[in-house]
Amino acid sequence: MTVTQLTPRAEGAPVFDLEKVLASIDTMAAQRPVAAQIVSVANSEDTSATVLSRILASDVALASRVMKLANSAYFGMRGRVTSLQFAVTVVGFTTVRTMATVALTELDDEARLPEDFWDVTTSLALAASTLAPRFGERPQDALCIGLLAQMGAALLHHNDPDGYGELVAGHADFSGRRTAELRRYGINSLRLTAVALEQWGFPHGMTGRLNVVDDYTSPEGGLLRAAFEVAARLTTEGYDAVPIVRLTYGQLREDDLVPVLDKVRADADELRRAMLGD
Amino acid sequence: MSVTVSAADDDRVPPEIVSSVFYSASVSDNLALVVAEMVAGRPRLSWGNAGAVDLLGYGLDDLRALPVDQLFPSLGGGGLRLLLRRERTARMTLPVRMASGATVEALVTTTPAPSGRMWTIRIVSATNEQERALRATADAHERRFSTLTERSPVPTLLSEQGMRLAHVNDAFCSLVGRRAEQLLGTGWIDTVHEDDLDTVIERVSAALDGGEVETQARLLRQDGTVRTTVIRFAHLFTPGVGAGFVGTIEDITDRLAFEARLAHQANHDPLTGLPNRTLLAQYVAERFGPGRGALACLFLDLDNFKVVNDSLGHTAGDELLVEVATRLCTAVRPGDLVARFGGDEFVVVCEDVDQPAAVALAERISVELARPVRLGGVDVRPYASVGVTVQTEEHTSADELIRDCDIAMYQAKAGGKGRITVLDQQARENARDKLRLVAELRDAIERREITLLYQPIFDAADGRPVAVEALARWTHAERGPISPAVFVPLAEESGLVPALGLLVLDETCRQLAEWDRMVGPAAPPRANVNVSAPQLDANLPPQVAEALERHGLAASRISVEITESALMKDPDSARRVLHQLRDLGVELAIDDFGTGYSSLAYLRHLPVDCLKVDRSFVAELAHGYAEIASAVIALARSLDLSTVAEGVETPEQAAELVRLGATYLQGFSLSEPMTGRQTATWFSSHGESTR
Repeated sequence: MTVTQLTPRAEGAPVFDLEKVLASIDTMAAQRPVAAQIVSVANSEDTSATVLSRILASDVALASRVMKLANSAYFGMRGRVTSLQFAVTVVGFTTVRTMATVALTELDDEARLPEDFWDVTTSLALAASTLAPRFGERPQDALCIGLLAQMGAALLHHNDPDGYGELVAGHADFSGRRTAELRRYGINSLRLTAVALEQWGFPHGMTGRLNVVDDYTSPEGGLLRAAFEVAARLTTEGYDAVPIVRLTYGQLREDDLVPVLDKVRADADELRRAMLGD
Repeated sequence: MSVTVSAADDDRVPPEIVSSVFYSASVSDNLALVVAEMVAGRPRLSWGNAGAVDLLGYGLDDLRALPVDQLFPSLGGGGLRLLLRRERTARMTLPVRMASGATVEALVTTTPAPSGRMWTIRIVSATNEQERALRATADAHERRFSTLTERSPVPTLLSEQGMRLAHVNDAFCSLVGRRAEQLLGTGWIDTVHEDDLDTVIERVSAALDGGEVETQARLLRQDGTVRTTVIRFAHLFTPGVGAGFVGTIEDITDRLAFEARLAHQANHDPLTGLPNRTLLAQYVAERFGPGRGALACLFLDLDNFKVVNDSLGHTAGDELLVEVATRLCTAVRPGDLVARFGGDEFVVVCEDVDQPAAVALAERISVELARPVRLGGVDVRPYASVGVTVQTEEHTSADELIRDCDIAMYQAKAGGKGRITVLDQQARENARDKLRLVAELRDAIERREITLLYQPIFDAADGRPVAVEALARWTHAERGPISPAVFVPLAEESGLVPALGLLVLDETCRQLAEWDRMVGPAAPPRANVNVSAPQLDANLPPQVAEALERHGLAASRISVEITESALMKDPDSARRVLHQLRDLGVELAIDDFGTGYSSLAYLRHLPVDCLKVDRSFVAELAHGYAEIASAVIALARSLDLSTVAEGVETPEQAAELVRLGATYLQGFSLSEPMTGRQTATWFSSHGESTR
């Protein structure tokens, strides 16, 4: 199926098949059965750390990333986590599921990702997690959604490397980039992420936030808007900062951002290493 | 599966078909179901069940022509493609537009038919009544919980994952003096004292693993102060999320400080602030190992401290003690213990020193102490007698070590003040032997193994026996008879006199009563009981009265003998006690008269009946010296007192004493001391009733 009659797009852009993009995820899932299994069981009510760690144990690479993350500064356990089961307990089931999703969608293969993907992603995730209490949200969920938010962008890049590369080069700011995505592909990358995640049963409470980021009338979108702003300030050279008050309905002031920027800068590398298993 | 759901002419698709399309859903009117089809390249609804009609508010006919994009206004073309996929089921939470134009958030699940051109769409409103009620309940629950924890005066932490905090209440924020934002996530870790962090993480691990644990940990406040707390961790499990914990914190800083203060008070001397005897014993016991020979003890006693106290007052005495304590602390080596043993006694304990080093330290201390102290305008040089003991293989316990240096100090004192004495083997053995004997004497008194002998006293005029003197005797199971000259001073030194005195008094009275029963009028008319100086206090008169009453005796049956020296220790108090005894009706005699230094004027005011002429003066008679005996007897007579001459050993002495005018005689030549039974028999044959 080709999507041709959607919103107007740039002249000469390649034909883009969303259906194919989504189908490609299924193909990836088949190649990482353990990750796929974790994605499907991690959020069920009766899942236990025992069950999850047993499944996780058969994907050594993924298991070692979970261990690494559990022992990272982010969870404060200072190397005390020595068993996989305890690691699952410490990082939480949603995070395990998030890491499995990362593996499943090959977000751990940097060769196939847009430039700076993980720099942006770790900043985004840590900023969302750090700011979450200010928005009455759970830091854990915010971390996960931050880690996965750019999955849509990765899929777009994967299916249209040149076109997407051009698009990124033309739009340094995330908001403008998403408008361009919508114009080019009929859907923006965050929406694509939300569709995929909801497909896999991630709770709407988490994925719903992705749909309202660009709706400036929505307070629910405030957290991710602020997190994108932090990520942009930290990763985009010559970035022209947007006042944070405007992005968050006055929920945050510039002063509030100072410690957040420091924290994110300090922890980003370690989180990146845990996520990519470097 | 081969199901074709076409736009049937009849109003409804047969339910069995619909249910086969929905793999597991049981179709009910409460469930909103619609079917969509591609018509001219555009998806439209072709059917809806009663639940859909109810939910969406369209009439069935309107519903059947409705383009799908109108139902889901938030979806653009791309989004619609994602919802209606040909290969697989899709699920989205979307706003759904009602006939009224309003939108409702709903979970939309689409399932394609195998043809790929038709989808069944299940719409579950996310805002139906039941869900709203559930959410309201959950919200109320959440609010109750947060009100409970936020307002609770108990500092509380709620973990999200690992050491990460999701909630922290106001009480915890004020405990550590920080804002909640600084503490959430891993921020609170900074408040845990570095040395306690490992234990805290360990306990958190145990709590995450399902345990209920607690630990003591110090928390650092923003202002730099430290609070000591007990943190109790309990496991929390959220289905589908994982494990966390609830931590409640009890600030025990003040309690610990109070306990420490109490412990310090219990173990330290309030005047000098030095460790007291209890702590000293504990300190030495902790470091003592038999045969190790590592400890040395110095026992110091200030010479003439009593003089300072008596002449300059207790405040000056206290000042002196504080100054001595300060000087001791500066003179010893770092790590040595200085303790106040009691009164003007101090103990220094050193580790890893030999005897020469211990003596050198004692000398240094003596020099340091002897510098003048100005007290009340007077320069005082505090000299001390120092006993030194270095641990040897003979020491089997910590107590022995301290006891030995105490003995050494007494030796130093006995050898002249301001000396340093090292305890030698012989002195140690003597002292230990004496200690054993004291212990055995205490046992002997408790078991009433001290027996009494009775020596008759005769009327000098006609030779009739008129009384007996009760004499205490101790026959040791191993050592045989032990002289009163040994055990009475021992009892006086070791505080056993009150018990011994009571025993003698009671036994004498008992014996008198027994004699009365055995021999009636032939029984000794009176018994003399000796009272030592330490017994001579306000307790004595009631004790005498009780003993007499217990055995049903008249007061006149008892004569209390008190030595002259005992009377002179505290003359005023002695006089009061004697008057009280006299009021009871007992007779009073002054023992060993002439050996002390009582003034005659004083003697005149004492309510005594009798003077006992000391045996030394009686003995002099044999050598032709009768002056003192004669003078004492004459003095007694002039004061209208009777006399008893003790130690009469020959008939010549007896004759001479009669000639000098002695009232009564007592001695070996007249009759030896006898047991109670012998005395009864003796009196039956020799005496006649004098009452």
